[in-house]
Amino acid sequence: MRIILTRIILASLLAFLAACSDQSESPSQPGLWKAGLQLNWVPEPEFGGYYAARDAAAFQAEGLEIDIRPGGPGVPGLQMVAANQVEFGITSADSLLVARARGADLVAIFALYQTFPEGIMVHAERGLKSIAEVFNGGTLAMEPGTPYYRMLERRYGLKQVRAVPYSNNLGPFLHDPSFAQQCFITAEPIAARRAGATPQVFPISEIGYNPYSGVIFTRRQLLAEHPERVAAFIRAVRGGWQAYLADPEPTNQAMHRLNPTMDPATFTEAAALQKPLILGDSSPARPLGTMELERWRTLAEQLRDLGLIERVEPEQAFVNPE
Amino acid sequence: MLLGASLEILLRTNDVPAYLLPPPSAVWQALLRYGSELTRATLQTAIAATSGLLASAVIGGLSAVLLSAHPWIRRAFYPYAVFFQTVPIVAIAPMLVIWFGYGLKAIIAAAFIVSVFPIIANTLTGLLSTDPALRDLFRIYRASPLTTLLKLRIPSAVPHFLTGLRIASGLAVIGAIVGEFVADTFQDGGGIGTAVEIAIKEQKTDKVFAAVLMASLLGLGFFAVVNGLSQWALRRWRIAEISE
Repeated sequence: MRIILTRIILASLLAFLAACSDQSESPSQPGLWKAGLQLNWVPEPEFGGYYAARDAAAFQAEGLEIDIRPGGPGVPGLQMVAANQVEFGITSADSLLVARARGADLVAIFALYQTFPEGIMVHAERGLKSIAEVFNGGTLAMEPGTPYYRMLERRYGLKQVRAVPYSNNLGPFLHDPSFAQQCFITAEPIAARRAGATPQVFPISEIGYNPYSGVIFTRRQLLAEHPERVAAFIRAVRGGWQAYLADPEPTNQAMHRLNPTMDPATFTEAAALQKPLILGDSSPARPLGTMELERWRTLAEQLRDLGLIERVEPEQAFVNPE
Repeated sequence: MLLGASLEILLRTNDVPAYLLPPPSAVWQALLRYGSELTRATLQTAIAATSGLLASAVIGGLSAVLLSAHPWIRRAFYPYAVFFQTVPIVAIAPMLVIWFGYGLKAIIAAAFIVSVFPIIANTLTGLLSTDPALRDLFRIYRASPLTTLLKLRIPSAVPHFLTGLRIASGLAVIGAIVGEFVADTFQDGGGIGTAVEIAIKEQKTDKVFAAVLMASLLGLGFFAVVNGLSQWALRRWRIAEISE
């Protein structure tokens, strides 16, 4: 696992270096605009639409040549885009607002997950009824410092629970029936079930914290200089996601070749699980990835109340291109 | 001071954004602003690092004495000691959680694992490299192996042991921080490793550097204590030698 991750990181680093040297040369195919999309994890269904767009040559059709760069733990996507090392990155809306508050002028242009895909995973045998009951005892593994960790801490307190670091390792969860942990709703629960546990998941969105996630972002300067390129990119991305949602299998096979540690069945299951999170519950159907000012405002106010940002300026943080 | 000032000027004249690399003045302000929080975290890490270092000193010292007893013992067990030197602590830290559970024990274990080898290796060198003339003298007087060990080998190994301890002191701090990344229980705040994690997540680059600075200060403090100890111990040892 670690070796493969290292290889992926090395490969993406090499791809990155190659892309850097390419930028000074003339584009390989005349007329195509070259740009990079830095993912925040290894190829998994949460990036299916981007690979679907690539495989269907949707980017070329829009006059673009997009280099999809797999990420991994600790790839600083926000900093890389802010420092103009790559054109587009993927993050969650809360991280983007915090980065903006620190002085990076980044703008969200597409929000894949309309519902926040993080949750708390517990063993179903505990018979817990709500997220509040998770804080009544046992061990809880979370990344300290995420906004929703702060919110949970403030709301329920950590007096009765033992808070420990979250790692990308299911061992402690499988080992201890009173162990709870944060999870990506479409990832860890599947793996835990495979390993013989019966996980139960409380989505974070239940407590009223629901930032957009899987958010594509770029620098404001790029958006201002080339709005038509950004719009073309989003059109291709949207087409890719529509294709992936309709039939994920061909793309899943392509991604499985890039990330062999995830087996094909998990790809299929995760792709099905994430569908409602992407489509959302908006009754008037809107184009995929569209964002609303009110959602950004609510989030910005929550982050301000948590002391993570000073000013609420949601209208600055996003654009629905076109 | 000069280094800090030139870095400050360099960053400011080149307009490097603070979220990529904060200037020293911003780090200093972060130190002031988060001082009490970071001090508490550093003290918590200090407890784990001290315990790990003490365990290394005792277990490492005793292991070296055992290893020095006979070449066969060295051949049989020294490879295991070398194993501790080469173990990638980041990779096995998650296993420490499985073995020792979350909390102080696993963190102390991480500090111990990375800091024990320099003590074993240096002490062993000291125990084995006694002055041949003195060894002959002990043989002439028919000193028992135990007497030779206590009166000759161990005293002559003390400076080597202290050198090992000096190297181990910095490593113990690193080990404790790596241990905290995977095993810290932070419902009451957590150690400096957790403080670094939080500052990274909250994208407070200045606080990250302030926390790292505190960790370095902790290492420096350990080094100073070991140095002081070593001067005190070596002075006594020399006086004892002269009076004999």
